[in-house]
Parts: sequence; C-alpha cells; structure tokens
Amino acid sequence: MTDLNRRQFIRSALHSALAVGTLPVVDLLALPAHAATAPQVALRTGKDYSLLVEQTLSALGGIENFVGRGDRVVVKPNIGWDRTPEQAANTHPEVVKAVIEHCLQAGAKQVQVFDNTCNDPRRCYVQSGIQDAVKSLRSDRAKIGHMDRYGYQDIAIEQGRELDRWKFYQPALDADKFINIPVAKDHSSTTLSLAMKNIMGVIGGNRGRLHRRIDEAVADINLVVHSDLSIIDATRILLRNGPQGGRLEDVERRDTLIASADIVAADSMAAGLFNLQPDDISTVVAGARRGLGVMDLGKVQRV
Amino acid sequence: MNRGRRNLLLRRTVQLFCLGGFVWLFLQTEYRGLDELPYPVSLLFRLDPLAALADLLAPGPFSWSLWPALLLLVLTAFFGRFFCGWICPLGTTLDGCGKLTGRGSHLTNRNWRKLKYLLLFGMTAAALGGVQLLGLFDPLAIFLRSLTLSIYPAYNLLLNGLFDWGYQHDLPLLSSLYPLFRDNLMAFFQPSYTLGLFTLFVFLTILLLERVERRFWCKNLCPLGALLGLCSSHALLKRVPDGLCVDCSICASECRMDVVAKEGQRNGECIACLDCTDYCPQERARFVFKGGTRRQAHVDIGRRDLLLSVSAGAMIAPVGRIAPDSYKLNPYLLRPPGAVAEDEFLRRCVRCGECMKVCIGQALHPALLEAGATGLWTPLLVARLGYCEFNCTLCGQVCPTGAIKLLPVELKRKTIIGLAVFDRNRCLPFARGEECLVCEEHCPTPEKAIVFDEKSVDFGGEMRTLKVPRVVTELCIGCGICETKCPLDGVSAIRVINEIETRRPQSLQRESSPYG
Repeated sequence: MTDLNRRQFIRSALHSALAVGTLPVVDLLALPAHAATAPQVALRTGKDYSLLVEQTLSALGGIENFVGRGDRVVVKPNIGWDRTPEQAANTHPEVVKAVIEHCLQAGAKQVQVFDNTCNDPRRCYVQSGIQDAVKSLRSDRAKIGHMDRYGYQDIAIEQGRELDRWKFYQPALDADKFINIPVAKDHSSTTLSLAMKNIMGVIGGNRGRLHRRIDEAVADINLVVHSDLSIIDATRILLRNGPQGGRLEDVERRDTLIASADIVAADSMAAGLFNLQPDDISTVVAGARRGLGVMDLGKVQRV
Repeated sequence: MNRGRRNLLLRRTVQLFCLGGFVWLFLQTEYRGLDELPYPVSLLFRLDPLAALADLLAPGPFSWSLWPALLLLVLTAFFGRFFCGWICPLGTTLDGCGKLTGRGSHLTNRNWRKLKYLLLFGMTAAALGGVQLLGLFDPLAIFLRSLTLSIYPAYNLLLNGLFDWGYQHDLPLLSSLYPLFRDNLMAFFQPSYTLGLFTLFVFLTILLLERVERRFWCKNLCPLGALLGLCSSHALLKRVPDGLCVDCSICASECRMDVVAKEGQRNGECIACLDCTDYCPQERARFVFKGGTRRQAHVDIGRRDLLLSVSAGAMIAPVGRIAPDSYKLNPYLLRPPGAVAEDEFLRRCVRCGECMKVCIGQALHPALLEAGATGLWTPLLVARLGYCEFNCTLCGQVCPTGAIKLLPVELKRKTIIGLAVFDRNRCLPFARGEECLVCEEHCPTPEKAIVFDEKSVDFGGEMRTLKVPRVVTELCIGCGICETKCPLDGVSAIRVINEIETRRPQSLQRESSPYG
C-alpha cells in the first residue's frame, strides 16, 4: 500500500514537474507551481460536440500529447446522478464519446470509463446516456463498467491535510493516463463542481465525511489521483440547484469546453463561466496552495 | 417405458419447468436498464387464488389483473388440484427436497387433514372482519419471500465467495464465468434483509415437516390447498378405481396425499400427481373424465370445528383492528410510495416480498412488529438502510394486489412517503459547528426540499460562518436519501417520519399535503 502510494506520489510529482518544465521535485509542497512556464489552457465553443472536442484537443497539440500508443487510459466523466443529459448534472455523453474516440485513435490499448455514483449506479449509467454512448463505439478497447467493490485500496496520503488515508479505486491509480472530464456545475458545498471535485468519483468510503473540510479534502485526493488532462464540459452548465439539478430553468447552454493539463488552471478558467473568480472557489484556492496547479489566470497561457 | 412411468416423467418435467419459470421470473424482478420491467414478474401471485381472496375482501375495487387466479379456480373445478401436484413451486420444492430431508413413512392422524380447512375458514372470517392473515400462510408467498429474504441473499453471498476464491487462486476458468453470472444470475448489490433468518426458519420448518409425512404442509396446513380442494371435490377428472381395491391396499400407504381409503376416495385431496398410475401393481389406476363417484369421501371438517374456526377468525378481526394506530405508535413506519392507506394496505398486502426483491435501493424490508402484530412481513421503507430512488416505480409495478399502486413516474415523484426532520443534537453544523450539507446535495426534488442558510454561528465563543440546512416541509417527499446518506455513524441526523404521508386519509392528516 505504502509502496503504491509512493509510486503514485512520485509520478504525480514528476507530472507536475514536467508540466512546469523543471526537474522532478519529490516534495510537492515545496514545488513553486506557478513558476517557470505557464500552463496551457484551451477554451473552445461550438455546437457540434464531436468537432468541439477535436478543436479543443488540437489547441493543446492533439490527444497524442497526452495518450500514447499502448496506454491504458481511464476516462472519468461525471455520471453521479440519475439525470438526463439536458439536466446538466452529468458529463454530456457526446463529449465522453468523442474523447474516447480520440484516445482510441491515439492507439490506447484500453479505455475504461467508470464513476462512483450518488444515485443507483445502474440508473445513472443509463439515464446519463453515457453507457449507451460508450457501447455505441462498438470497440472492444473501450469499456464502461460499474465500480468493482473489491477494487478499492486503502492508501496513505502523506501530504494530506484533512485526510491521512482513504479508499481509492485501484483501476484509476493503475491507469497509464487519467483523463478527467467533469461537467461544470453549481455545487452547494464547493460553490462549483469542476475537475478537482470530479476526483471524488474514484474514491470509496463514506464520502460524505469529506464535506467537513471539503476544499482540503478534495486537494488531498487530487494529490493521489493525478489528472493528466482535464476537459471541463460546459456544453450546458447548471447555474443553480447543483450538483444534482433537475430543473431545466437552472440549465444554460454554453457549448463550451475548457481543457488543460493543469487541473487548477482548468478549474480557474471554468469559474469565469459562472461569473466567478478563481479565488471564489475554495477547492481551487486549496489546490493552488497545495501545488496542484496555477490558479492565477494572468499566469496561464491561453491557446 | 410403461404408461405410469411416462406419467411420472411428464409430471416431474412440468414441475421442474414451472419451478424454473418462477425462479427465472424471480431473477428478472430487478432493474436491468429499463424503467418498466419487461416481464410479468409477479405472475405467481396473479395466479394465486388466496391473493385474489385477500384482494376481494379488502376495501376498494377488485384488481382484475388477478384474473388468472379466477381462471385457476375454474380449471380446478374441472381438473382437480392439479396446481398442487404440477405447478406449485413450494410443492415441487417439497417433492424435490424429500430425499434430502428424509420422508416420514407413516401417516399422521387423518383428523389433521381438516386443519387446512379450518385455517382457511378462520382466516377468511378474519379477512371479512378486516384483518387479513392469508399472506402469512399462502404457500406461494412463503415460497417467494423465503427466496427473496433468505435463499437468494445466501446464494449471492456464496457465489461471490466462490468467485473471489477463484480469483485469488488464479482459476481463470471460474473467473471467466463471472460476467455471465454477474449480469444474469446474481444481484447487483448483495441483498440483505431484516428478517432473513426468521423467514428461513419458517421455510425450513415446512421442509422438515416432510420427515413426519410426505407433503405434510400440503395435506394438513396449506390454506391454498384447502381452497383448491373445496373447488375440486366434484372435479370431472377422477382417479379410478374410486377407492381401495379389495385385493390390494398399496394406495393406502403409497399415495402421497392420503387420498384413497377404505371408506372411499377423497377427491378434494387428490393433486393428480399420477403416482398411482405408476405404482399400481395391476395397472388399474388411471385418470378419466366422469361425473359423480360411487365412493366419494370427504375430509370431515366437523360442524363444531368449523364454527370454532370461523368464530376465532371473527374474534381476531375486531381485536386486531382495535390495536393502536401503528403510525402513531411508530412515527418511523414508512411504506413504499403508492401504498394505500394503512388499513387497506394491511388487508391487501399478501406479504409476497416482490416489492422487497425489486426495490432498487434495497430500502424495503419486512416488518416484524413495527407495523403492529398483524403487519408481519409487510414491507417497510427503512431509510437508514436504503432510500426510494426518485425516478423509480418498480414496487408499484410488481405488487400483485394493488397494496402498492402503480404510479406514473410524474405522480410517484410527488407522492409523499414522509417528512425528513433534523436532529439538531446530531447534525454537524448544529451540534459541532462543522460544515456538511450531504443531505442537501442528495435531495432529489427539482426544487430542493433541503436548503441551507448561510449563518454566523456563535460556537463556544467562536464565531463561525456555516451553511445550516433546513427542510422545506412543502417540498419534502420523504424519499429518505438524506437519511441513507447522512455521513454520521449510527443514527442519522436527519430522519424521515410518517407525518404528511400522502396515503393517510386527509381527515387524519394534521396538515394538508402540498400536492393536493
């Protein structure tokens, strides 16, 4: 367990280091994340979501920058609620489908899709349209499956502020590449639910406990599960009544995607969709402070 | 193969086919991606004359979806108790397990045969008076609820253990079977129910009674057998010869239902199993269609016993009904959405367990005494264990007697099961000055029934800004997701009580329902 944590930890340190173009530094907290080169963030709009995914990814140099031939990829949408795509509580199935298609084209050996849902998992997978979207690809390399109850591992979070150990979903840790595709929405506890918050879908345990100091807890789990690429789905956003919604009058169509290898930068950019500043979102603030990325939009490179 | 052997083989094949069919329907009693179940999973109870009797004696209109039960009664009048010998899954189980448990060889006192009739008459009298107990002794309900509450959960546990073992010991052949089992033959979540052990105990007792004599339950206790027996005493399909032969008395000891006796043949007891056509050494026994019988005998119920059982039933009814209102006694008594008013509910529910099997959130559990003494095995929504899924209507789809009405999803979403109430001594923002809001996040109504106020709270001299939750009574439907998901250990800090439930007659409600 400790062994795995160390591996993860070092890997995530490596990734952060690569992102800022310096030598790997193992002590994450000591890492001045917003030094060196600015992280790239792409924001694109368009009504054809398949095309939109393509344009957003090519702004970042194409999916090949993130997924290599033979990689085992996890694509993690938000499938948390028994809600339909137009209700904007889950990631849009067409976006999920297009992202998987790109991974497959890049030669991924396997693309797994899963989420630890809040409502009944079977209903969420069906109602969100994501199960059908993945199955419609008819690829034996792309799989959507329910979380296996044996898949959770208790892992020590050495740099944890709120949590010092928690149950994580092993397949998410084992993946070569982790692509985080949350839906952008209002959230009562965290103001907004974006990419960092979406990581709560690959942990187990009594997740409600995280709510006590949710910003630090979300930063803690993001230290363990590193998102190689975050693509925030804002094709339609839930402005109020989140994270579950259920009323179409709370939903606004924006036809937008925001993507970055820097999860904090992506979340910071997405705050603007809701007329908020990055420092209005406590998870973003905690994430930046904990070295997960850059929240100062003046220091990101828009591509 | 002679005629008798052929008959036996045919009957066993039909028995296995029916049992297999009912078990298959049982396995389909689960959400598999469609909001509407594609199969008539509660067919067993639509065929059940006792369910029809309960329905008939309950207030409100008769559920005509139970027409197959009436058809069965008509068929029984012509063909006798073939249902018991050929179709009943409990009967088949008893026949099948007899070798395992050991079969009693001697016959019990023939007087015991009348017990089932007395039970039926007594319970019918009670049901007429308003206390329905038929479901407790209905063999089909016993079968299905044992399957639901005890056997299927155990089966899942064992299979999961087996596959785990195969996985740990690297047995790819075994592991490769797992997806097939997981997707078709196993439950999505390991089922567990409050009365699992108790239900199993009852089931095993019935099974072990085989050690006393064959089909002990069917001969002596089964009220469904009694009802079918009453219908079949003049059935046209009859066994000949119509009694013991003068030169042979093998039927007296071999007939599993103890039909044939010196004084004649009791057609109401014969389940047309066709065994006698096989064991008859002279090959005389056969089944033919014909009118009246020369040596027809009946189980002697006795006028005095009959009167006694009817009066007992008639006594039970008022005493049962004057028990204190269970919703007052137990404010946490919650019923599935669409359940009719408690009095009618208890009279309609046949305790079959279909709703508990199908409930997607594993929220429904059998009652022991929570709903009063006459509410045994009726479904309770236990919100700490599971909640009612907002968009799900499955329990109403499977209920055979209309105890749980089938609601369109729009109506179901507005049906009030109860009201969520905070316990401020437990709830984190109130009791410990900590943030939480898990209940608010999960509240499924489009306009949330749990909202929060951002408040500055003086907590032991320290001012803290907290999001403090609050229930909007007018919007809460009592689905219980807040109680299920409350992250506290032990008792939830928010609990659903049965105040303002839709099913309670308006005159008994203190406040009117927001949805009219």
